[in-house]
Amino acid sequence: MNRTYTAKPSTIERKWHVVDATGVPIGRLAAAVAQVLRGKHKPTFTYNMDCGDFVIVVNADKAVWTGNNKPDELLYWHTGWPGGLRNISRGDMLETKPEKLIEKVVWGMLPKTKLGKATFKKLKVYSGSDHPHAAQNPVAMEVK
Amino acid sequence: MARVKRGLMRQKRHRKVIARAKGYFQRKKNVFKNAHEQVMKSGQYAFRDRRQRKRDFRQLWVVRISAACRENGIKYSQLIDGMTKKGLQVNRKMLSELAIHDPKAFSALVKQSVG
Repeated sequence: MNRTYTAKPSTIERKWHVVDATGVPIGRLAAAVAQVLRGKHKPTFTYNMDCGDFVIVVNADKAVWTGNNKPDELLYWHTGWPGGLRNISRGDMLETKPEKLIEKVVWGMLPKTKLGKATFKKLKVYSGSDHPHAAQNPVAMEVK
Repeated sequence: MARVKRGLMRQKRHRKVIARAKGYFQRKKNVFKNAHEQVMKSGQYAFRDRRQRKRDFRQLWVVRISAACRENGIKYSQLIDGMTKKGLQVNRKMLSELAIHDPKAFSALVKQSVG
């Protein structure tokens, strides 16, 4: 307790990872990504600091629903207008807005705090195999 | 008998509570009633959290050791199990500090306990 290491903003090093979502179950993908975003894969992890890395997800549209992940289950939201309750099935969302879907699932696995929001901003999702972050030299990451 | 007025003592009593409520939010820092409520509650939290601090830190060390273990290709539980069986006594605090400041020593320890 007395002299336990605490990460400071100046000591946190951030890397970039790139994940290929082709054929990966969405929940497993999100769990792995959320861990890295929070920094829980580092021995220097500190609860009150955003010590995670950046993660780029490519081929988001090629991720899959498996097993008991009912792709026809509906997701709801309300537009705010009278009679504005809309819905879309998970399977349809994967086809029409794959980036939004992955972001939604990952966000569900992060803490709903200011720190959580900052953590979430390090996630970049793209459908298709291209991403504009080549300058950051992202390292390929495996999802087990 | 001389007449006793109460204003001074009350003021002194209040001042002590307000002094302990420095830096609190809104009325809690300068209105006696609200300050007193918060000072009482803060004392309870402080008492509780002095005890919880021990658990919180142990939790943090376990998370860090777990991350370091995974870098070495094993799980936290496997390391602890291996260490118990080999009779290696390094506490979690030192394990986590080793993993941060001397990763090579940590890997050596992993090899010695599992393998």
